[in-house]
Amino acid sequence: MSSTSQKHKEFVAEPMGEKAVNALAGIGEVLGKRLEDKGFDKAYVVLGQFLVLKKDEELFRDWLKDTCGANIKQQGDCYGCLREWCDAFL
Amino acid sequence: MPFVEDPARFSKSRLKSDLVAHNVALPPAASKKDVYVELHLKHIERNQTADFSSDEEEEQERNVAEDEKLPDPRSLTDDELRGALLRYGVKAGPIVASTRSVYENKLRKLLQPDGRVELNGADDAVLYSDSEEDIQEHGVQDDEESGSEEELLIVELTKNAHQKSKQLPQKRVNEVLEDIYKDAEKTPTGMSVTRRRPIKGAAQRPVEFQYPDTPVSPMTFARREVERRLVPIHIQIVFYVFLVGILYLVYVNVDESSFDKLKDRLRLIQWSGSDETHSLQLEMDVIDVAYGQE
Repeated sequence: MSSTSQKHKEFVAEPMGEKAVNALAGIGEVLGKRLEDKGFDKAYVVLGQFLVLKKDEELFRDWLKDTCGANIKQQGDCYGCLREWCDAFL
Repeated sequence: MPFVEDPARFSKSRLKSDLVAHNVALPPAASKKDVYVELHLKHIERNQTADFSSDEEEEQERNVAEDEKLPDPRSLTDDELRGALLRYGVKAGPIVASTRSVYENKLRKLLQPDGRVELNGADDAVLYSDSEEDIQEHGVQDDEESGSEEELLIVELTKNAHQKSKQLPQKRVNEVLEDIYKDAEKTPTGMSVTRRRPIKGAAQRPVEFQYPDTPVSPMTFARREVERRLVPIHIQIVFYVFLVGILYLVYVNVDESSFDKLKDRLRLIQWSGSDETHSLQLEMDVIDVAYGQE
């Protein structure tokens, strides 16, 4: 990824705490709503899914697509943001 | 469910060309369609893997093979699913409620023999949508339109060509052709047909691909060429500011004395020069004297 978004930088900069799911890069209002409807209301719940898929990019992308219909870019943003967060704080 | 194509629905010419493609001896020319259908069923259904089998048959066969290997990822228990993935060299993580569907999909992908789905898995939903009616219609239309065997062969070749073209890293503009040839994705023959570049939007055909190197007019090209050689604008600005700064410094630092020095130097040069400059030099001396008196 050549450049990262503001959202990405903000998310990766600090522990996620109780941030909502749409604080994740690539997850906007629409996808955030869909994820919330499926019970993924906080960013850490998505992190849990990310971890239980063993940080595997392909699997996580598939899951995100199936769960909220994220497109390739959104999948990539969300994956990159969680992976970097893990690199920094896990 | 796979779409099963009934040979009885084929046109006679299609049946004939299929038989020819499978090296089956043709019945007498006057024989009825039923004879062709029978031959078709006998020879072609049996060895579907042979060349030029229709894509629908291929599809059917693949699903059958898949079913034989593993009935359905969904019917497996968590442990079985894990074991199946392990057989394909995938070390699955914990299979729980939220991850199960992901691993099922993964296994389904691995079960696909040619791994093409991996290439553009995003299009799966489109590729296997429930528009089977469409193919059937298209297939029938194709059959009716193509009169001779040659034309049929061309149709098959175009399908192959299309499936080759799908692998090129080009950006899709629309999916019209994908609907028509939506399951022409396997290479049963291994034949490679070089694809002709389609004329964009000609004869009302859909614009299929977007080419990065779109032709530009000579003027635009020339302008781009010039722009490429010019120094970038911000460097130009920096340069001009630098130049203005130097000129300003010169202007500020110059005073009377430096003019005098310059004049002395000029005189030296002129004395050492030819006699023709003497008159001029005398004039300058006069000026100097006048200046000195002041």
